[in-house]
Amino acid sequence: MMNSMNNVEFLNELVNSKFNVVKTEIINAEQMSFIVDSRDVHTLLTLLKTSGWKQLSYLSAIDWIKEDEFELVYIVFNWDRPVHIQVRTRIKRDRENASFETIIPIYPGAKYYEREVHEFFGIKFPGNPDFHKQLILENWDDMPPLLKDFDPRAYSDSHFEKRDYPEKHINLNNQESKQEKRQKRNLKSLLLRNGGKK
Amino acid sequence: MKSTKFSPMTQEQIDKKWWEIGNYFRRNSLWMLMYCTGCCAIELPPAMTSAYDMERLGMGPMATPRQADVLLVTGYLSLKTLRRLIYTYEQMSEPKYVVGFGSCTINGGIYHDSHAVINKLDQYIPVDVYVAGCMPNTEAVMNGFTDLMGMIKNKTARGWLDYKERNDWYKKNQLDSLGEVLVHDEFHE
Amino acid sequence: MVVNILVGLGVALFGFVLQTAMGGINRKIVARVQKRIGPKWYQEFIDIFKLFSKRSVSHGWIFDFGVIMALGGIIATAMFMPVTANIIAFEGYDNFFIFVYLLAVGMLGMAMSASGSGNPLASIGVMRALTTMLAYEVPFMIVVMTIIKLTGGTSSVSEIAAFQQIAGNNWFIIALPLGGIVAIISLMGMLGKKPFETYIAPAEIASGPMVEYGGKQLGMLFVMHEITVFIEVSLFIHLFLGGAATLGVYLLKYFLVYTALNLISSVYARFKIDQVVVFFYKWPLFMAVTQAIIAIYLGWVI
Ligand code: SF4
Repeated sequence: MMNSMNNVEFLNELVNSKFNVVKTEIINAEQMSFIVDSRDVHTLLTLLKTSGWKQLSYLSAIDWIKEDEFELVYIVFNWDRPVHIQVRTRIKRDRENASFETIIPIYPGAKYYEREVHEFFGIKFPGNPDFHKQLILENWDDMPPLLKDFDPRAYSDSHFEKRDYPEKHINLNNQESKQEKRQKRNLKSLLLRNGGKK
Repeated sequence: MKSTKFSPMTQEQIDKKWWEIGNYFRRNSLWMLMYCTGCCAIELPPAMTSAYDMERLGMGPMATPRQADVLLVTGYLSLKTLRRLIYTYEQMSEPKYVVGFGSCTINGGIYHDSHAVINKLDQYIPVDVYVAGCMPNTEAVMNGFTDLMGMIKNKTARGWLDYKERNDWYKKNQLDSLGEVLVHDEFHE
Repeated sequence: MVVNILVGLGVALFGFVLQTAMGGINRKIVARVQKRIGPKWYQEFIDIFKLFSKRSVSHGWIFDFGVIMALGGIIATAMFMPVTANIIAFEGYDNFFIFVYLLAVGMLGMAMSASGSGNPLASIGVMRALTTMLAYEVPFMIVVMTIIKLTGGTSSVSEIAAFQQIAGNNWFIIALPLGGIVAIISLMGMLGKKPFETYIAPAEIASGPMVEYGGKQLGMLFVMHEITVFIEVSLFIHLFLGGAATLGVYLLKYFLVYTALNLISSVYARFKIDQVVVFFYKWPLFMAVTQAIIAIYLGWVI
């Protein structure tokens, strides 16, 4: 426990002494998050990689539609000092040409994560030779589906046939439903048990 | 007096007799291919092992589509898995049957408004038996299998014939939802 | 001659019916081991006839021809098999080496057909089957050579059986205890039972050589497999368990051997292919060589 706390302090000092971190958050002994300016991301990731955080676990994105921004979250992990680090940054939300420089030179495995982010959020990654190719959604023909202004129900209605149920399955001749009957019965037995009082 | 003369059967009657004999063998030895797409697949281990023991009905798991008779679609199908399901179904050797598990295959279930999950399986491939529930009880699953056996006996499990007869209709639905059944990208030659 | 051929075909048919019934009974027994009810005893017959009632696709003439070659080769092998001391189709031709070579024809047919399907998993399965064959054959051959030496140079299966019966039911599995253990392990490898099931491996390479078969071709392969099991178990009975004087004794021995193997296999998991090879070249080979030295040079035979 002591040891892992040291890891967090070590990191805090390492990053905050060299970078202009907007916000540092210590979630627990195994997780930290740094919010940095988008210009610092590449140098920060390089620093982290050289100090042992050599595995890129995930690259994700968040669509903050009201603030008109995208947030990119890089999660890196170190096998010697067990701390997950989230490096968060915000870029301008621009449906057509939001873009962010690739991190392939630092973490080559980011190639596929960047393709995924491009597919689901439409963010471009110049420098990644095939960020525009399809990976998970095959032959997608609409706007990127994880954007907040995408309407999944409308897409589903227009693309997939719904099963329509004949009326009689839902309500048969205005009969009481079984649930209502049961509730009445329970209420009656409760009344009887309490001698007429509720 | 009844004539005792031997009256030869027509070719059609002979074929029908053979088909009935074949049906006896087919319904007592259903080999299944489990396409475990969703959470309903968790109902299959109790159905296979000592709790319900489907081997006593002659059913057993098989490794490849060519060897199997029944395709079990256990749960929701995203567009990507639906493509693979269609390839798999078309590879199976006839006669072949399909069992759909759970409300997801019937009407979309809790994923009815998702952008990635289809709603009605029988639009795309013919389904012989549906087992309702989210997820269905193991009893319901076993009941579905015995229903399928009864349907094979009554010759009502005609999904595979339907797929041949109305192939255009099925193909059109598949293309409408999927765009293209066989995708061409770097992962497929 | 015609009578001989008819008797031979009868033996093959007998082997098919016997092994299919035994297979069904054994599925029931294994189910009981696992606290299940298990299928009907004639389930294997239903399975095979169902496969013949299905429609199937072909993957080219090599695929179809290989299946027929495999089935034909195995039926030809089974025709030479002595069942009891009296039921034997071709007297004087039941040489051990005939079985070894004719079995290879069936195996090669299957390998040819499986590669003809063009599926990579089938090729992997065939490779593994041949590797396993290479592994179990060496220790098994050494033990059989020892037996041939002890019986004075005859390699006729029925004569080896008769030799054991004449010597007062002195079975070789008791006379050569180490060799007997080696033979049992090799037999499990031959039948593809659980620890050595590497080349079928349904969860790993999707049933290996059989991956592209369906319908009638798969039915023929099943018939071929049943007859192969019949040949291999019969060989074991004749070489190590003193053969059989009457049909009843034969059936009893067959049932005991096959059930025992199934019970052993029902509690094991599967080896990897390199583990199979290393295993066979380690203890069974060592035991077989030790047994040969003890029996031939020191003359210690119980
Ligand atoms: S029906 Fe329910 S249990 Fe089955 S796949 Fe759908 S959500 Fe999962």
